[in-house]
Amino acid sequence: MIELRSIDKIFNIGTANESQLFSDFSFSVKRGEFVSVVGSNGSGKTTMLNIISGTLPVSGGEILLDGCDITNQPEHVRSRRIGRVFQDPSVGTVPSMTIIENLSLAENKGKPYLLDFAVNRRKRAMFCDTVEQLGLGLEDKMDIPVGLLSGGQRQALSLLMSTMTPIDLLLLDEHTAALDPRTAETIMQLTNQIVREKQLTVIMVTHNLRYAVEYGSRLIMMDKGKVVIDKSGEDKAHTTVDDILSIFNSISIECGN
Amino acid sequence: MLFFSTTIDGLQMGLCYAVLALGVYISYSILDFPDLSVDGTFPLGGVCCTIFMLKLGMPALPAVLLSFFAGLAAGALTGVLHVKFNISKLLSGIIVMTGLLSVTLALTKLITRNGQTTAIFSYRSESIDGLFGGAMFKSLGIEVKDYLIIALLLAFVIIVKIVIDLFLKTKIGYMLRATGDNEKLVISLGKNSGNYKILGLALANGFVAVSGALYANLYMQYDNTSGSGKVVLALASVIIGMSVFSKIRIVADTTAVIFGAIIYSLCLNYLVLVDSDGIYLKLLNAVMFALILIFNEKITGMASGKSRHKRAVSEK
Repeated sequence: MIELRSIDKIFNIGTANESQLFSDFSFSVKRGEFVSVVGSNGSGKTTMLNIISGTLPVSGGEILLDGCDITNQPEHVRSRRIGRVFQDPSVGTVPSMTIIENLSLAENKGKPYLLDFAVNRRKRAMFCDTVEQLGLGLEDKMDIPVGLLSGGQRQALSLLMSTMTPIDLLLLDEHTAALDPRTAETIMQLTNQIVREKQLTVIMVTHNLRYAVEYGSRLIMMDKGKVVIDKSGEDKAHTTVDDILSIFNSISIECGN
Repeated sequence: MLFFSTTIDGLQMGLCYAVLALGVYISYSILDFPDLSVDGTFPLGGVCCTIFMLKLGMPALPAVLLSFFAGLAAGALTGVLHVKFNISKLLSGIIVMTGLLSVTLALTKLITRNGQTTAIFSYRSESIDGLFGGAMFKSLGIEVKDYLIIALLLAFVIIVKIVIDLFLKTKIGYMLRATGDNEKLVISLGKNSGNYKILGLALANGFVAVSGALYANLYMQYDNTSGSGKVVLALASVIIGMSVFSKIRIVADTTAVIFGAIIYSLCLNYLVLVDSDGIYLKLLNAVMFALILIFNEKITGMASGKSRHKRAVSEK
C-alpha cells in the first residue's frame, strides 16, 4: 500500500544546526491496516507523516503508493489519494465558511471546481443527514461558520470531510490531542467507526498509549528515527498499556528525559 | 447649492469607486492579500478604455468591459510573482505597480497629439461619445442630467455586485474563499492553492481596471496620475463599509463595500469645501480615515475589513 524505502531526512543541510533524523529508514503498511504510532517527542512520528503527505521533501530514498513512485509528487497531487486530520482542529476546516459550505467543498474533492453552484437543495438534505449521524447536534447549525464551533465539533467535521470522498490512506496526526478527554473519546470512537465502515488504511500518530493499544491492528513505537517496536495481530492483541509504558520509560531514561 | 452639487459629485465619484472597492474586496477581504498593484491597474484600465474608443472607434460600453482584461493580465502577473517566484505579497504588488507606470505612459503616448506623456486630454467631441456622454441621451430624446448619470452608474455597480455575489457562491468561488482563510485545506482537497490566488488577483484587478475606465468616462478625460492613492482609497472604502454595516445582518459584504465607497467619496468631496486650495487635502484625508477607524474600533472593537464570518470567528 504505502512503502517508505531507505528514507534519509536531514534538517538544515549545510548549517551548524544540521541534524539527521532518518537514515536508511524503511517502513511499509499493507492495505486495510490500522497502524498506531507512538513515541516520544522528536522521535520522527510527525515527520514520517509529513514525508508521506509531501509536506516535507526527503533527502534520499523513495516513497511508493500502491507501487507507484510518488517521491517527487507535490503535496496537493498526493492529497487526491491521501486524507489527513491534524492536531489543530482549525486546520481541517475553513473557519469563516459555514458547515454546509465546508462539506460541499469536501464532497467535490477529486472533481473540478468550476462555475456551477456549490450548494443546492438536494445536497443540503444529504449533508444534513450525514451530519446528523455524528450525533453532535450539528444539523441545527448548518449555516453557522465552522470557526464558532467547539474544537471537538470541528475535529469531527474535519474527520468527516477528509473521508467524504474515496481515499487510499488516512493520516491522523495526534487528532485527539487538543481535545478534552471525553470529546477525545467520542472522536476516537467516531474515527474507528468511519475507518471500519470505509475499510480505510490508517496511520495514526498518538500520545495516548491506551488508544494505541485499544484501537488499530498494528502498533509501532518510534525512537530517534527508528521503529523500535512493531506488533500486529495476536502479538498486539496481548499487549497492554503497561507493557508499552515500561518500554517507553526505559527509552526515555536512556535519552536522559 | 454648492453643498448640493458637491453631494451629486460625491455620489457619482463614489459609485465609480465602488467598482474599485469591490475589486479590492476580492483581493483584500476574500484572499487576504493587500494588493498594491491597484495603483497601477486603475489608470491602466482608463488608458486602455480610451485607446479602444479613440484609436479603435469602439463604443463606450464594450470599451469599458474590455478594459477588464487589461487589469486581469496585470493582476495575474502580481499573482505569478508571488506564487511562482515566492516574492512577498507587498513586494509583488509594488513591482507590478511600478512597472505599470511606464506601461501606461507608453500607452498614453499613443493617443496624445503632442506626445506629452503626462498630458490630460479630453475626448469630449461630437464624434466620440463617452459612456455618460450626450449622444446616447440625445438619441433617446432626453438631456444629460446628473441624476441620469447616477442611475446609470448605480445600475452598473449593482450588476457588478450581483456578478461577484453569484461568483462567490460557485465551487470556484468557494475555493477562493477557502484559499484566503485556510490554504492547507485547499491543498488537502487536491488543488494547487497558488492557482486560486492568481485567479483571485486577476479578477480583482480586472474590476479595478473597469473602475478606471468608468472614471475616464465619467470625467471625459484620461489622467495619467489618476492611479495615485487608489490603494488607500479602496482599502478605506472596504474597511469603512464592512465595519459600519457589519452589525446589520441583512446587508451583504458586497453591498457594505459599495456603501463604504460612497460614504468615503462623499467625505472626500466635503473636505474640498473646507479646504478649497487643496493643500491640506491629503492630510485631512488621512486624518478622516484614522478617525473613522478609531471611532469604529470603539464601537465594534474591530477595524479590519474582514468578512463578517471571519470577524465573528476572530471575536470568539
